[in-house]
Amino acid sequence: MKIEQKRINRREFIALSSAAGAAGLLSSIPGAAQAADFPSRKMQTYIPTRAGGGADRNFRAFSGVWSKHLGIDFEPGFFPGAAGRVGYETYMAKAADDCHDLIFGNMGPEVLNWVVKKPSFDLGAYQYIIQVDADPGSIFINTNSSMKTIDDVIAEGKKRTLTVATSRLAHPASLGMLVLAAKTGMKVNLIPLSGGKNTRNGVLTGETDLGVLPATTVMGRKNINILGLFDEKIVLPDRMPKAIAINTEYKLGLPPLAAGARAFGIKTSALDKHPDRYAKLIETAKMTFADPAYAEAVKKAKAPIEFIAEGYADQCKAYFDDITAVGKEYKDLLTG
Amino acid sequence: MEIDLSVLPSLFVEALAYWWVIIPATVLGIVVGAIPGFSAANTIIILLPLTLSMSAEAGMIFMVAIYTASRLGAGIPAILVNIPGTAGAAATPLDGYPMSISGRGQQALAISFTASVFGGLLTTLMALILIPWLSQVAFHLHSVEMIVVMLFGISLIATISADDTMKGLIAGLFGLMIGYIGADVVYEAPRGTFGFLELYDKVPLIPALVGLFAISEAFVVIERRVVLSESDDGIKVAPGWSATLEGIRDTLVRWKHVVWTGMLGLVIGVIPGAGAAIASFVAYQQSRIFSKTPELYGTGHVEGLIAPESANNGVTSGTLIPLLIIGVPGGATAAIMAVVLEYHGVQFGPDLFESNPLVGYGPFVAMAITYVLLGLLILPLTRYFSNVLVVPTIYIAPIIIAFTLVGSFVPRAYVFDMGVAIVFGIIGYIARKTGYHVAAILIGVILGPLLENFFLRALRISQGDLMTLFSSNIGNVLWVLLIASLFAAPLKRRLAGR
Repeated sequence: MKIEQKRINRREFIALSSAAGAAGLLSSIPGAAQAADFPSRKMQTYIPTRAGGGADRNFRAFSGVWSKHLGIDFEPGFFPGAAGRVGYETYMAKAADDCHDLIFGNMGPEVLNWVVKKPSFDLGAYQYIIQVDADPGSIFINTNSSMKTIDDVIAEGKKRTLTVATSRLAHPASLGMLVLAAKTGMKVNLIPLSGGKNTRNGVLTGETDLGVLPATTVMGRKNINILGLFDEKIVLPDRMPKAIAINTEYKLGLPPLAAGARAFGIKTSALDKHPDRYAKLIETAKMTFADPAYAEAVKKAKAPIEFIAEGYADQCKAYFDDITAVGKEYKDLLTG
Repeated sequence: MEIDLSVLPSLFVEALAYWWVIIPATVLGIVVGAIPGFSAANTIIILLPLTLSMSAEAGMIFMVAIYTASRLGAGIPAILVNIPGTAGAAATPLDGYPMSISGRGQQALAISFTASVFGGLLTTLMALILIPWLSQVAFHLHSVEMIVVMLFGISLIATISADDTMKGLIAGLFGLMIGYIGADVVYEAPRGTFGFLELYDKVPLIPALVGLFAISEAFVVIERRVVLSESDDGIKVAPGWSATLEGIRDTLVRWKHVVWTGMLGLVIGVIPGAGAAIASFVAYQQSRIFSKTPELYGTGHVEGLIAPESANNGVTSGTLIPLLIIGVPGGATAAIMAVVLEYHGVQFGPDLFESNPLVGYGPFVAMAITYVLLGLLILPLTRYFSNVLVVPTIYIAPIIIAFTLVGSFVPRAYVFDMGVAIVFGIIGYIARKTGYHVAAILIGVILGPLLENFFLRALRISQGDLMTLFSSNIGNVLWVLLIASLFAAPLKRRLAGR
């Protein structure tokens, strides 16, 4: 299945902002608003990572504007640990199913988590409903490396086993590297270094030959060159001039492997019980995407607005299914 | 890379203009350092909105002042009530606390502060001079070399348990076993988590630390009327200057000791992923090995207090060097500083020292100013801090338990972690009552996971070849030094006995 992700550029943002004004007017007409009693308390959001990371940054940018359209504040709670597992388990155990309690996670690595080891809850008991970004997985090298292009990497990988730093094995960027190796016949040895910072350090200090991470975590960094993205196009060619779209160039037959695909999720039972509230969440989320204040918030958070990806339940499900399918295919390599 | 030191005098003047940032950050740093669990890293994260609203220069100076002061502040509870505020101060109570309970708390604090200020100031200035060379250290110390560095620290288990080797080794192995609880770093397979998801990312360090040291100590001191030992119960802490001056003099006459342990901390600080805990354990272990009076370590020996304090302050400047030169933070606090500087569009690298000297050299200059300020501010206070020792334990023990439980909650905000602290408190209490060294347990808990991390990484890179442990020239030199240091002391004793 192919993901139909809607990426927004600056121009589209401006165009959509006028639509936002109209939508805002409509929602202010008495009687037109759905679920009038909703929300009646703060939107409690479970975040399965530490405060101060990428998810926190994206959450604050989006919820800061969303709260204006929803008419109530968001309150984040951080539940880091076990690569997101603690946050999800806590959410499923404690969150109310009245549409006031959401989870905000990074779909890619967290869904791959379930491929590697199933959680204690039924996977159908929650679903992602609003995706906010799509940060493609990237291959990067130290600028001092003798390998300057992906072709160099593949040629070298056919001569010897290349060490590849990665945040963790069960990660979309790792998966992309494994697929590329399988398709081209190169030999790679993934070295999980626990987190983006350590992964960058592994490459910068020369402990590994190259690394794979979400593009935003390495883009514009000194002494780092991005050679390719596990995607079908290069969104920011001026910020990664050497990068190529690996999925297309090497005909990997992969969907875009967004290594950072942050999204709001909710208990399925909440959707079943309160379809009107769900509709209101979606309606106000659309207003948020269209609001120029959101672009400003993303810019202020120093995240590239080109990686904003407006997606809803269908797109999220497609991503969930795709990453699960590829993950299952390479499960042995992800779990040893 | 060339360093132009001629700009330093004007930079000192420029940095001094930020006194309005340095003074409150220094006071805040001492306070958060002294509260177990409230590390510099946590504080800087909490204050991020404030820091981001400042200029890059002011923000950097603010963070550096907090970082520096908190390192020194962490020694206060470690010495007075056996509670290391952070893992970096875990080796401080080994000799600091015995001094306190024998009525020399004020002197111990003065030694700790003088060693911190002197060691920190010296290593900061050395860091400025040696930046071009120290920045290269990170390129040469990879997993294989780090395994040996970890073993230097872990060998302290044998050193501190010299009185009862078997009990020491049992305690150390117990600590290592606890350290291996959680998911392994390669395949993330959970081990020994007893079904608790909260243990997947290892036993949380701060709750284990405060439990083993602080809560168990609270249980022990409650059996006495005051913190001072029963035999010294009659000693009153005289709020005068003499003990403070004595402590300062004790440290300054051992200036060579301060210098080399501080330099050891500086070099370890430069290595990404190492940090203050390793530096202070390694410094303590090396200090004991090369001491003329190793038998006095653990009994309230001045050198045993100087070594970890000077080393962990040496780490403070070391950790910034790889960040500023190659964009690789040496530790957690430096990583948070990187976020703030990147937010301001600062580009790391040698050019930074020319394009923006106040951001390049500024952290070291601010650090030096903070150390001077700390010296002036905190040394006169030692006479008052030490009064804690005569506060009745019916008051001090509940305060210790309350603060440490809050401190154990802070890093992850899990109530579960408060339970972990209590469990470790009970373990620590039983260990103390049965003659097992809690520091040996803690060394295993802190260094065990790091050793495993580097070991598995080295094996993974070499595709399972154990000979990789001897594949690096630097690593082999470190192996020889490790073996030599382990056998140096017994050999010296044997030769002296002949």
